Amino acid sequence: MTDEREDFINALVDLDETKCIELLKKRIAAKEDPKIILDDVRKATDIVGEKFEEGRFFVSDLMMAGEILKQAMEALKPAFGVGAMESKGTIIIGTVGGDVHDIGKNIVVALLEADGFTVIDLGVDEAPEVFVEAIRKHKPLVVGLSGLLTEATESMKETVEAITAAGLRDQVKIIVGGGRTDEETREYTGADDWSDDAASGVKKFRKLAGVQ
Amino acid sequence: MDAAEMYREKLDRLEAVIHGKEPDRVPVTAMMTLFHAHYAGYTAQDVMFDSVKNRDAALKVARDFDFDSMLALTGLEGTFMSLALLHSAPSLVPTGRFMEGHFHEILKDVYTKWPGMELAEDSHPQFIGKEIMKVEEYKDLTENPGEFLNRVCLPRICKALSDPGSPESNAALALFGAEMGKSGAAMGGLVQDLAQCGFPTFPMSFSYAPLDVIGDFLRDIKNIVLDFYRYPDDVKRAVDALTPLLIESARVTGAVPPEMQKAIGTNVVECFFPLHLNEYLNPKLYEEFYWPSLKKVLEEVIAMGQTPYVLFEGRHDAHLETLLELPKGKVIAVFDKTDPRKVRDVLGDHVILSSGPPNSLLIGGTPQKVDDYMKSMLEDCKEGGLMIYPGVDGGISGDAKPENVQAVLKAVKKYGTY
Repeated sequence: MTDEREDFINALVDLDETKCIELLKKRIAAKEDPKIILDDVRKATDIVGEKFEEGRFFVSDLMMAGEILKQAMEALKPAFGVGAMESKGTIIIGTVGGDVHDIGKNIVVALLEADGFTVIDLGVDEAPEVFVEAIRKHKPLVVGLSGLLTEATESMKETVEAITAAGLRDQVKIIVGGGRTDEETREYTGADDWSDDAASGVKKFRKLAGVQ
Repeated sequence: MDAAEMYREKLDRLEAVIHGKEPDRVPVTAMMTLFHAHYAGYTAQDVMFDSVKNRDAALKVARDFDFDSMLALTGLEGTFMSLALLHSAPSLVPTGRFMEGHFHEILKDVYTKWPGMELAEDSHPQFIGKEIMKVEEYKDLTENPGEFLNRVCLPRICKALSDPGSPESNAALALFGAEMGKSGAAMGGLVQDLAQCGFPTFPMSFSYAPLDVIGDFLRDIKNIVLDFYRYPDDVKRAVDALTPLLIESARVTGAVPPEMQKAIGTNVVECFFPLHLNEYLNPKLYEEFYWPSLKKVLEEVIAMGQTPYVLFEGRHDAHLETLLELPKGKVIAVFDKTDPRKVRDVLGDHVILSSGPPNSLLIGGTPQKVDDYMKSMLEDCKEGGLMIYPGVDGGISGDAKPENVQAVLKAVKKYGTY
């Protein structure tokens, strides 16, 4: 790997926003293959995730990484041309009914997009029917139900039940996520997995989607 | 046992733990926003907007659950208001500390959402926050926080105050004042009713982590986190400028008249600190931006003779050691996702430990599962004094099963005696 590529990856991992975006713009201007740049973005994202899991990065680090990733993806998209960026598949995500929190969900969205998924973000306080309709329309691999309130657990359960009642449960994997979720929540809501942090959440999305 | 004896027994139990002693058994302090509503058959909107229903629901829970203290908290974070009122109307600081549903109706603040208004009638009220202060304005905040909060922020936070001096704004302020009077009276009435049922409530004073004032009320969480990387010096200067206000807030709200102390039967004053950014920050950021000012406020509050009651929201594992810098046995520390066993390992009895089963267990579990959880926690952690905070992640959930909450109380009597 060239020094330039390494510098770029390190700048992202060090959360050096200015340097990272500057290097990225240089690479794009030099007409480098956008696939290689994207590979580097993903490598850096993986390292950020690992650091979080090792307890060396915290939520604020993920938020800053998410912010840099958002800018990087925006800068990178035009280099690919229309529709040329390959997708790993579609994911639907939203905060469940009665809950309007979204900080955690937004970090997950930034990480999933950088990871190559097409993410349909339904927003906050969304009723079960909205998830059901979105599943019919977008045929996602995985559905993420987010929530911070302890009362969100009940809404997650209702949403899973609505997806089942609509006959769609065996077509999608479901993950519940948020600061208050745990194995007890997964069991109670009938989801396939759970996560209470964005980094391990992204890993679980990948696993549920059956992609690397 | 009559109510007065029960009151004394519960108060003695709580005071013993606060004074570093082991009482007859581990006490249970209950906090709830919707549990009482649902238990009594009310919606969220009912208890948020009707103090008679709120009182009715709280007293029903008090009759049926043998907690050692209980608090029905129907307000959301509102420290921006208590700080705005701090110097010009200190007597209103305690009632202005929480944003209530009726206050929101009048002031039309942009931070909060309420059942029956922006949310369905049985949804939990929620503080979402908003960017109120632009990056360029850090210097104005730093120069004079009180003026900046009043003149610049309040009109942006409360739509009803957006045009200071207008008929609408004046009317909103007058109505807000009247509503604060009613709300304060209802709150005081409920505390007295609970006392007559045998439940003590410690006088509570109010402060806040200085950095959380900026994160929660001025820059919004998603921006403050980026500010650490982009504008570190501006953040630090603003935190330093806010710190004296948080000390003053504790002083003003914690001055309990001696006759009131006598009536309540204790000279303990708990100073409430809900921490928010703690979990977000890595140790370096925590020790650079968050802890120095919070430590200073805590030390001053302790020096005033008050007992800080700190909710360490989320996971506080990485920052536990910093608590050793505070005087021993002076802070009640409620840990949410940090395992209380780990707290004991790292801190011993340096803080007054409070923890409890998470709401996932109270919602989805069974009495047997709760019993197992409590047995293990009490056996591992009760030595040296412990308080149980059921539904430790935000208080007992509106969806907690009553039988699981009862199981917490049964377990304390079985495994929590000394």
